[in-house]
Amino acid sequence: MERIYGIDLGTTNSLIAYADKDGLHVVRDPQTGSALLPSVVSFLSAEDCVVGAAAKARASEHALETIASVKRFMGLGMEHVSEADRGQFAFAPESKSGIVRFRVHGRDFTAPEISAYILKALKQRVKDVLGEDVVRVVVTVPAYFNDSQRQATRDAGRLAGLEVLRLVNEPTAASLAYGLDQRHDGTVAVYDLGGGTFDISILKLHEGIFEVLATNGDTRLGGDDIDRVIAQLLVDKLSAEQRSHPEILRSALAAAEAAKVRLSDAESTTLGFTYDGVRVERTLTRAEFETLISPIVERSLAPCRQALKDAGLKPQDLDEVVLVGGSTRTPLVRRLVEEFFGRKPHVELNPDEVVALGAAVQAGVLSGANKDLLLLDVVPLSLGIETVGGVMERIIDRNTTIPAILRQEFTTFVDDQTAVDFHVLQGERELVQDNRSLARFKLRGLHPQPAGLPRIEVTFMIDANGILNVTARDKATGHEQSIDVKPSYGLTDEVVEQMLEESFDHAEDDVAARLLIEARNDADGILRAARKQMAEYSPPPAEQQGIDAAIAILEEAMRGTDYNHIRDLTDELKKVTEPLAHRIMESAIKLAVEHKNIADVV
Amino acid sequence: MNSVDHFQVLGLPRSPVVDDASLKRAYYDLNRRLHPDRHQTGSAAVQEESLQNTAAVNDAYRTLRDPIERGLYWLSLHGENLGANNNRVPPELAALVFEVQEQLEEIRDTRRSGKLAEVTALQAARDDIVERCAVLEIRLQENFRLWDTGGDAAPLLADLKSILSALAYLNTLLRDVDLVLEK
Repeated sequence: MERIYGIDLGTTNSLIAYADKDGLHVVRDPQTGSALLPSVVSFLSAEDCVVGAAAKARASEHALETIASVKRFMGLGMEHVSEADRGQFAFAPESKSGIVRFRVHGRDFTAPEISAYILKALKQRVKDVLGEDVVRVVVTVPAYFNDSQRQATRDAGRLAGLEVLRLVNEPTAASLAYGLDQRHDGTVAVYDLGGGTFDISILKLHEGIFEVLATNGDTRLGGDDIDRVIAQLLVDKLSAEQRSHPEILRSALAAAEAAKVRLSDAESTTLGFTYDGVRVERTLTRAEFETLISPIVERSLAPCRQALKDAGLKPQDLDEVVLVGGSTRTPLVRRLVEEFFGRKPHVELNPDEVVALGAAVQAGVLSGANKDLLLLDVVPLSLGIETVGGVMERIIDRNTTIPAILRQEFTTFVDDQTAVDFHVLQGERELVQDNRSLARFKLRGLHPQPAGLPRIEVTFMIDANGILNVTARDKATGHEQSIDVKPSYGLTDEVVEQMLEESFDHAEDDVAARLLIEARNDADGILRAARKQMAEYSPPPAEQQGIDAAIAILEEAMRGTDYNHIRDLTDELKKVTEPLAHRIMESAIKLAVEHKNIADVV
Repeated sequence: MNSVDHFQVLGLPRSPVVDDASLKRAYYDLNRRLHPDRHQTGSAAVQEESLQNTAAVNDAYRTLRDPIERGLYWLSLHGENLGANNNRVPPELAALVFEVQEQLEEIRDTRRSGKLAEVTALQAARDDIVERCAVLEIRLQENFRLWDTGGDAAPLLADLKSILSALAYLNTLLRDVDLVLEK
């Protein structure tokens, strides 16, 4: 079976990694040997783009055709875009959906589409280096990403032709990579300051179980903010005319980033750039740099305080503090973290690579290769629905362990109501307007009754990816309606399908080849699972014969190229092993619940 | 009424007295077997079952690990709840609640002048609330233990309800106080 890869789709850089019997490996650029792929996409024309270092090199000269830090726009609507961003990116005029679109060479791109180009470049890197096709992946997201941002990340994976098996929170992934090296029990804080996002997660490690106690963060805090403050020093020296050029602003940002990196070691450096023959520069000392950025870095401490409080812990209760993300190389960040937690943080692993390596560990867990570790993660932000007076009623509290299924009953407020509008929200504030609107849907077909009589049960289900699904049921009549909630600023399935078709350039052969690979991979996975189950729990002879026969014809089909045939036979094998799988699940539960079927609980 | 309760989900005896170590062990062991990460290669039906089961285990653990949540759940198993009429101040707390509300009001009014004395007084009131909560939680544990001795359920239920009602009240008050103190 082909490997499952771990991907860190970062604001500034992206990486791809895998685990094998020799350990964890980041796949490096064959030319430069670099593990990092700059998360930058630059369009040469409407059809042609470059990704990575080549795109980053074009950023200053072709500012508006080059998109960097696209992660900051994942799952957002135009209403969330700041004035500063509007000056730096070429956005398309707002469409009906309100979703953020970039307009480059007259063509519009959503944030998931841009991210898909980055994912495809990582895929190509693996093809070049290892000669393997990447199909199934684990992708990391900031722990504090909301539902829309998570769905957008999953869409990006689909658009890149990847099967995203799991979204894993970045700090949690990092703890997995650390946990491998130093396996012992204890309480750990992971402080993750990346290019655009900040996360803090508090975990308890216990015999290979990584249990997240609390998480917090800020999806608008990172190295980009530091760069902007420093770049402002140069922008202040420019004329109003010069400031109106996006190319000059990009040059100032690039100069700021370079100076920031140098100041991690040097006490003083020259901050400057040359544009169109004009040189703009000044000296920047470490002390001045730290004075300027300390308000930004200090913004990370309030989430740290809240996470500790939610976990019911004090800084001295922690056994370790781990630093993740490129921005933690800045000495001031290290100092502040050390002061806050009262201990020296761990920096043994490369802060740029540790998240991708952790994703590779989780890939091993999902494939069944790693049976020692298990992640128990939480939902970062509370979820609820709007009730009377514009107040959010919480259904799932933040830091609830996932997967989670919670139900709440609601009723009508007006006589003879036949439909109820639901507004799904995420956030910690009391009022609807202060929280993030995730989706709206309508439950129809209620029998007209006096207000307060109908009983409508709303079920919130969060899966292991932290993604929400909401259903509503009219209990009074027993009439049930399930509604799949689509994010307000997400892509609809039809749009994703359409984009996928376009991206294949209608090359039938490509599609067929991919479908064959996928069909064989799926079949292989099911074959392995079936063999393993039979070895552990021998089924009755009749069932055994049925499974053996199904395995034999599937293996025969896999040698051919008819992917539809392989799929049908895979389904067939799934069907005949279903009773066995069911019994295995049951026997696990019976150890705890004597003679009861747990399905009765829910 | 569900045929399987939170205690059964975790394989624990049906009692409000819960041994912390057994609870954690059951929670971890069940997750190790049932969690979706362990069934990623299974069929759609197996994955769905894994999700439902793990969610049930998580719900049971979340409810039983916290004494107050567990007490409220125990009430619900006996057809009782604090209900909407819990906005009546428990008599023994009336004086304290009145005093604290007064202090909060005053601090909100004089926020700009930033008088230190009032903040200190509120801090003292906060300590008082925390202490009362601690006493009530000890009473809660005692109540839990009495259920296991096979005593008469009716008075135990009434006692449990009054303890939980007072705790709910104090915790709301504590949240209000902390909001003001944080500022």
